[in-house]
Amino acid sequence: MAHLSNQSHHAETPDHEDRIEIGSLTPHFQAHGFPWKQVLGYVASLLLTALAFVLVMNHVLPPTALIAVILVLAVLQAMLQLGVFMHLRESRGSAWQVIVLGLGFFMAAGLIIASVWIMMFKAGVS
Amino acid sequence: MSHIIAELFPPSTLRLFELIADVLIVLTTVSIVGVLTYTKKWVWLWREWLTSVDHKRIGIMYLIAALVMLFRGGVDALLLRTQLAFPNNHFLGPEHYDEIFTTHGTIMIFFMAMPFLFALFNVAVPLMIGARDVAFPRLNAVSFWLFAFGALLLNISFVIGGSPNAGWTAYPPLTELRFNPSVGENYYFLSLLIAGIGTTITGINFMVTILRMRAPGMTLMKMPMFVWTVLVTGALIIFAFPPLTVSLALTLFDRLFGSSFFTLGHGGMPMMFVNLFWLFGHPEVYIVVLPAFGIFSEVVPVFSDKKLYGYPIMVASVLAITVLSYGVWVHHFFTMGAGPGVNAFFGVSTMLIAIPTGVKIFNWVLTMWGGRIRFTVAMLWQLAFIPAFLIAGATGVLLATVPVDYQMHNSYFLIAHFHFALIGGTVFGVLSGMYYWWPKMFGYMLNERQGKVAFWLFFIGFLVTFVPQYMLGLEGMTRRMYTYPPGLGWSSLNLVSTIGAFTQGAGFLVIVYNVLWSMRYGERDLTGDPWNGRTLEWSIPSPAPEYNFAIVPVVHDRDAWWDMKQSGKSEAFKVKSSAIRPVHMPKRSAMPFLLGLSFFVVGFGMTFSWWVIAIIGGLGVLASLLYGAFDYDDFEELDPEVIRRTEAGLGRLQA
Ligand code: HEM
Ligand SMILES: [Cu+2]
Repeated sequence: MAHLSNQSHHAETPDHEDRIEIGSLTPHFQAHGFPWKQVLGYVASLLLTALAFVLVMNHVLPPTALIAVILVLAVLQAMLQLGVFMHLRESRGSAWQVIVLGLGFFMAAGLIIASVWIMMFKAGVS
Repeated sequence: MSHIIAELFPPSTLRLFELIADVLIVLTTVSIVGVLTYTKKWVWLWREWLTSVDHKRIGIMYLIAALVMLFRGGVDALLLRTQLAFPNNHFLGPEHYDEIFTTHGTIMIFFMAMPFLFALFNVAVPLMIGARDVAFPRLNAVSFWLFAFGALLLNISFVIGGSPNAGWTAYPPLTELRFNPSVGENYYFLSLLIAGIGTTITGINFMVTILRMRAPGMTLMKMPMFVWTVLVTGALIIFAFPPLTVSLALTLFDRLFGSSFFTLGHGGMPMMFVNLFWLFGHPEVYIVVLPAFGIFSEVVPVFSDKKLYGYPIMVASVLAITVLSYGVWVHHFFTMGAGPGVNAFFGVSTMLIAIPTGVKIFNWVLTMWGGRIRFTVAMLWQLAFIPAFLIAGATGVLLATVPVDYQMHNSYFLIAHFHFALIGGTVFGVLSGMYYWWPKMFGYMLNERQGKVAFWLFFIGFLVTFVPQYMLGLEGMTRRMYTYPPGLGWSSLNLVSTIGAFTQGAGFLVIVYNVLWSMRYGERDLTGDPWNGRTLEWSIPSPAPEYNFAIVPVVHDRDAWWDMKQSGKSEAFKVKSSAIRPVHMPKRSAMPFLLGLSFFVVGFGMTFSWWVIAIIGGLGVLASLLYGAFDYDDFEELDPEVIRRTEAGLGRLQA
C-alpha cells in the first residue's frame, strides 16, 4: 500500500515515462526489511480498541467521562493509522495531503453535527 | 445432526420455487463442472481468469457476474409482479413476498448496478487515460473476489437457512433478533459487509489510478468525461461506505452479541440506523448514476460527431452534485418527524441538486444539436435516458416538497420514481456502455438489429411497467403490500404494470440472444476503432493486448485520439520497433481468490453463529493477507519481442 511513496525514487531512473507509471506498481518493502513499524502500529491499534471496549463493558467511569475518554482514544488511533498505514508525511506533495485531510475533517464534522441536529427530536418524544 | 439440518433447511427453503431453483442450481453446477472437466479447462480457468489481475479480465468477470445478477433480480421482479397482477392473488404468501422484494432490491443495487459499473470502470478507465493497468492491480482482484463471494453468500440464503426479509433498507426493529430470529438478516449484513470492503478498495484504487497514472499531457481538464465521473464516484464511495459499514456492523452486533445500538429496549436508537443508512444511501444513488452520466457523455459526442458541449460546465456540475449529495439524506425519512427546521433544510437542499443535473441534460442536448446523429444501439439507450431521467428528476423534486412527501412516502409513486431513476439512469447507462465498449472488450460487435429489438422491448416495457405505478401511488397503493382487494381502482393498472414487466423480461432475453448470436456470427472489429471514436481506448487494437499500449501515448487535446486522427498523427500510433521497451506487468496471484473464499467461510460461519467455522475462515483471511504482504515477487517483465510480435501480427508495426 506504500506504492505511491516510492514514485519519485523510480522516476529518476531512465526510460522515465514507463517508470513513472510502473513506480506506482512496483513492490517496495524489500528496501525496508521487516515492517516492524506496521506490525507495532497494528498491535497498538488493537490495544487502543480493546481498551475502549473494556472501559465501556465494565462501567468504570461515569458516562460523560467515559465518552470523553473513548473519544480521545479514537483520535489517538486515527492519528496512529494516518501516520503508520497511510504514510502521512512520507511523500512529496504534503500540501495536497493537508487540503484533503481538511476536507475529510470538514465532511466528517458536518455529517456528525447534522446527525446530532436531526436526532435531537428524540429528546421530544421519548 | 438433525437439528443442524433443520437449521440449514427451515420450511421457508422448501417451498416450490426454492426447490425448483435448487434443482436448477445443481444442474447448472454439475454441467459447468462436467464441461470444464471434459474439456480439461480447469487449469485454464484458474490461470487465465480466477487468478488474473489484468483489469480487462477483471472487468469481464464483473460484467458476467452483473448480468447473472440482473437475471436473478429480474426473476424476483417478475415473481413480485405476477403476485400483484390480480387482486387477492395467492401466488406468493406474505412472508415469501417480503423475502423476494428484499433480495430483489439488495441484489439490484449492490450486486447488479455496482458491479456492472465497476465492469465498465475496469474495462475503460485505464485505456482512456493511456495506462497499462490500475494503480493496485492485485487489490483490484481482491475487490472483485470480495464482491463475488459476498454476492454468493447472499444468493445461497434462499436455499440454505432462509432469505433476508426486512427490505433492502433493513430498518430495525424489523431486523431486531427478538422480532426476526431467522438467520436471513445475518446473511444480508455479512454479505454487504464483505462486498463493501471490496467496493471501498475499488473507490480508492480508481481515484489513485486516475490521479497518478494518466498519460503524459493529459491534465485533469483534458480527461474524458467518463474518467471525471469515475474519479468523483471514488470520492463518493470513500465517504459513503463508512456509515454503511458502521450501521451494518452495529446491527450485526445487536443480533449476534446482544448489544443494544438500535434495539427498541435498553436505550437503543432505531432511528439512528435509519439516519446512518441514508447517510450512505443517498450518496449511493449518485454513486450508481454519476458514472452513467459519464458513459452518456462519451456516447453522445461520438455518435453526434461533435465534441462534448460545455465540458468545463459538465465538470463543475459533476463536482457540485458530489458535494450536494452529502447534504440531502433526510429526504428519505421526512416522515420520521425531526421537525420543520430539519425537514425544510433538507427539502431545499434536495431541490438544489436538481440544478446541476438539469445543466447536464442541457449539455447533452446541445451536444446533439446540429450534429450528425447515428442511431446506434448505444445512442438509443442514451436518447431514452433523457426523457426517463427528466421524469425521475421532476418527480424527485415533487417528493422533496415535504408536505407532498408526507402523502407520497412509501407509496407506489416512490417506487415509480426510483425505478425511473435507477433503470432510466443506471441500467440504460450501463447497457449503453456495454454496447459501446463491447468490441473493445471482446473484439467483435454486438449485432445492431437485435440490439435495437431488445432496446424497444425493454424501453416500452419500462414505460408500461412504471408509468401506471405513478398513478397507483396517487391512488393510494403503498409499497411492499403483498396483495390488495378488488374495487379500489387498482386492478387494471396493476395488470398493465405486470405486462410491462414481462415485456422488459423479453427485452432482457433478446439481449442474451444478441450476445450469444454475436459471439458466433458478430462482425469482427479489425480496426480497433469501429465507432470512429474520440478517446484513447479506440487507438489500440480490439481486444486490447495484455500490455494495452505498446508505447504510452502523449496527449495534446481533450479528445486525444480524435485530435491525432484530425492532425494525421494517428499513423504515429504504428509502433516503431526500436521504441518498444520491456514492460513491467503485475503477476497473476491466487491471493485475492483465496481471500474472498476465506471471507465467505467467515460470513457463513457467523451467519449461523458457528464460531469454529468462522474462526477457520478468519485464519484463512489472516493467512491470505500475510501471504499477500510478504509476496515480493509480484511483477514480471514482458519481453519486448512478445510486444513486437503481437503488434506486427496486428499490422501495427512501422516498417
Ligand atoms: C424488470 C424490471 C423491474 C421490475 C418489474 C421491478 C419491480 C419491482 C417491484 C414490484 C418492487 C417491490 C414493490 C414493493 O415494495 O411491493 C421493486 C422494488 C425495488 N426495486 Fe425494482 N424492479 C425492476 C428493476 C429494478 C432495477 C434495475 C433496480 C435497481 C437498479 C431496482 C431496484 C429496486 C429497489 C431498490 C426496490 C426496493 C426494494 C425494497 O423496498 O425492499 N429494480 N421493484
Ligand atoms: Cu435520496
